[in-house]
Amino acid sequence: MSEDIILDIRNVTKRFPGVTALDNVSIQIRRGEIHGLCGENGAGKSTLMKILSGVYPHGEYDGTIIYDGKELKLGVGSIRQARDEGIAIVYQELTLVPNMTVGENVFLGKEPLENGAINWSKLYADTRDILAKYRLDVSPQAVVKYLGVGKMQMVEIAKALSEDAKILILDEPTSALTESEIDKLMTILENLRSHGVTCIYITHKLEEFFRITDSVTVLRDGKMVTTQPTSQLTLEKLVNYMVGREMKERFPRGNRHPGEVIFEVNDLHAVDPNETSHKVLNGVSFNLRRGEILGIAGLMGSGRTELVTTIFGEYGKITSGSIRLEGQELNIHNARDAMRYGISLVPEDRKGQGLVLIQSILKNISLANLDQFSGFMRIDADAELVAATQQARSLAVKAPNLQVRVDSLSGGNQQKVVIAKWLLSDPKILIMDDPTRGIDVGAKYEIYKLMNELAERGVSIIMISSELEEVLGMSDRIMVMHEGRSTRTLNIAEATQERIMALATGIADELTPI
Amino acid sequence: MAVSTNVNSPQTDVGLAAELGRRFRSNIQTYTIILALVAIWILFAVLTNGAFFSAQNVSNLFRQMTVTSFLAIGMVFVIVTGNIDLSVGKLAGFVSVVAAYFQANVWYQLIPNMPLVAAMLSVIIGVGVGIIWGVLQGYIIAYLNVPAFIVTLGSMFVLNGAILLVTQGRTIPANQPYFSEIAQGYLPPTAGWAIAAVVVVFLFWNMVRSRQSKRRHGFQLPNIALDIVTTIFYAALVIGYVYWVNQYRGIQTPVLLLAITAAIMAYVSNNTRFGRYAYAIGGNREAARLSGINIRRSIFLIFILMGLLSGIAGIVLASYVGYGTTAAGQGYELDAIASAILGGTSTLGGVGTVFGALIGSLIMASLTTGLQMLNVAPAWQYVVKGGVLVLAVFADVYFKRNR
Repeated sequence: MSEDIILDIRNVTKRFPGVTALDNVSIQIRRGEIHGLCGENGAGKSTLMKILSGVYPHGEYDGTIIYDGKELKLGVGSIRQARDEGIAIVYQELTLVPNMTVGENVFLGKEPLENGAINWSKLYADTRDILAKYRLDVSPQAVVKYLGVGKMQMVEIAKALSEDAKILILDEPTSALTESEIDKLMTILENLRSHGVTCIYITHKLEEFFRITDSVTVLRDGKMVTTQPTSQLTLEKLVNYMVGREMKERFPRGNRHPGEVIFEVNDLHAVDPNETSHKVLNGVSFNLRRGEILGIAGLMGSGRTELVTTIFGEYGKITSGSIRLEGQELNIHNARDAMRYGISLVPEDRKGQGLVLIQSILKNISLANLDQFSGFMRIDADAELVAATQQARSLAVKAPNLQVRVDSLSGGNQQKVVIAKWLLSDPKILIMDDPTRGIDVGAKYEIYKLMNELAERGVSIIMISSELEEVLGMSDRIMVMHEGRSTRTLNIAEATQERIMALATGIADELTPI
Repeated sequence: MAVSTNVNSPQTDVGLAAELGRRFRSNIQTYTIILALVAIWILFAVLTNGAFFSAQNVSNLFRQMTVTSFLAIGMVFVIVTGNIDLSVGKLAGFVSVVAAYFQANVWYQLIPNMPLVAAMLSVIIGVGVGIIWGVLQGYIIAYLNVPAFIVTLGSMFVLNGAILLVTQGRTIPANQPYFSEIAQGYLPPTAGWAIAAVVVVFLFWNMVRSRQSKRRHGFQLPNIALDIVTTIFYAALVIGYVYWVNQYRGIQTPVLLLAITAAIMAYVSNNTRFGRYAYAIGGNREAARLSGINIRRSIFLIFILMGLLSGIAGIVLASYVGYGTTAAGQGYELDAIASAILGGTSTLGGVGTVFGALIGSLIMASLTTGLQMLNVAPAWQYVVKGGVLVLAVFADVYFKRNR
């Protein structure tokens, strides 16, 4: 074979009780390429990564893996060994210690020693060299918790590269990044490619495959569907390979007819409650109609999440401005108040803020609305079960029963549970902060359909999204934020990616006609 | 003992054995700890030639576990919310010396010849002291944001001083009539049988009611044979227990008190907002907050509850020992924490049951009693107990990993 194959996965099968996670999968990855790995949640991507990283050691799966010319045999508890072999993973969830510096994180577990003590100058010098080599724009001495998500991602990459990684696996590296940070990441990846590092790139954002990868492998239900050079693929083809069926449209258009304005935010200013000198909102105004989907776009740090959590009473301290619902001025101090007025918030971080992972679907759905089922003392368990079952069914949550713990569900199903929870209070206004983050195409489509149905029923939805296509695909109007201010609300007819980006980056202010 | 009404949602109707197996796997932790208890009992029974199971010993064993059990029940709620309370032993001790002080010195002068009223007043005062202390601690922890570990550690020192102040270094007698009955009394056998009858009827009624309700709401019913077998099993346990302690002197009042408290608290943990919120806060504080749960209030209430239960434990302690001593309640907080953890309460929060804590407490008491019967030196009793605690948690971790 003329091609230089660094990783040859041959007929790998991995079974769990009741499920075949990988079914006779064969993939060849060429040295120095960026190889995209694509598939819905549950397609087997994570299982494959866990095999490569040693979470599932050699012998726990069938098939062979030839790595760099010889068979890869990772022993039990061999995550360390995989690293030593040069296989490094950057996980979707960041794995840095927030209170440590960049250098300490990069060399965590392999600190350079001198007479048994850590050689700090070498540690920081080496960190600086790695950062410089791959043009990562972070200071070695910076404390990680003060960095933005984008920079943290760079530190993760630096950490992986400090092990002389031959293969770098990136598992959804852009799910928390803004457009500009993604651009930076792409530059970094190109730079890595020029240094001969092989990358396996996993993402749910299909466009990224076309921006950066050389070839793409699609997995579906544990089986390898195809591997093709990216140049021969199109977005439509990719989606079809993934879902195994024709998907006509990524964003279903509902039959929405937004009614009168019911919710108004007027010149809202707010400060960080823990640090009142820090302004988080600097004049936000917008309105929302009955049965409308209003998209909120903006870069990370533009105050989108701060805006909705402030409205919900759980973040910023309002210094001036007003919030009105159906003409009545609202005075919201916490989530309870907001819910009483009929406002629900599907929070940004599904696992960290939306769910109690160790509890059942039932308890998660009912948690915010136990008052509905409670008498003086006791909870009416039957009423609770009936209501939760109804919600779960109408959202098509896939689970054997409602006693199943939510941490055993896929991301898409977890998100449905969060939405079910917040629909139980029958809200007038549903705020969704990045509702499709990190979930697969099929589940996204179902959530879009659900949003349409809700809007048609007269629920008003505010949707924050980091994906411009999603904002453009789903919204009736789009409000763009920049540095804590609302710049302009665009009608969907006049909105384009370019206009939104211009407003979001402050290139065009609201006075300039665009 | 109350059987928690666990509403299972639809599942396919399978054979009895398969269903049992499924239940076993889904509650492996509870069953592991029960099996451990049975194993310990059998071991002691063999080593003592059956003396361990004598009516008198069984009666004493259950009586002995009551004080720490009250504390362990409260500790479950505290640990479930991700907190800890190191002061409960000393608080129970403080309550016990206060009650003894009133019994020995105050009522004697104020209301002579009214021992029943005196005993009732002592109970009220003791429980009141527990609640007040709980309010104080809860306020500092929940509203002034001082970590529970530190508040209760400090409180432990303060209470130790308070005990010495009340006792003046002496032992105060608390063995007056009526007051002694709280922890040393027994119910007449007929009363015991009446209680057993009520509980058994309740168990069956509960089973029928739960099935009816499921049918009404269109959920698939669990296997009827299994439901009946389970209910008969619990009923048999109750009847067997009553029969056996009646062979000695009857149902022990403190055990009855504990059973009622545990039943109420088990119910509260599962079927009230208060209980649900505790588990949600421990499971994910942020999600709980965004769900509109008033976290401060919940934590505050939980420490008040802990104070109340410490108060009850203190009263039972004073009555059980018959004295208020300077060492009252020494180390009980550790027994309570160990019991809760043995019973499956997670130190990470969000997980734990009242029933589990009782089993944990019973294991601790069984070890004490059994080792005493075998004339094992106290020093080694501590060694064994500590070893069992770590071993049990290791076994749990091991089984979870290899499931």
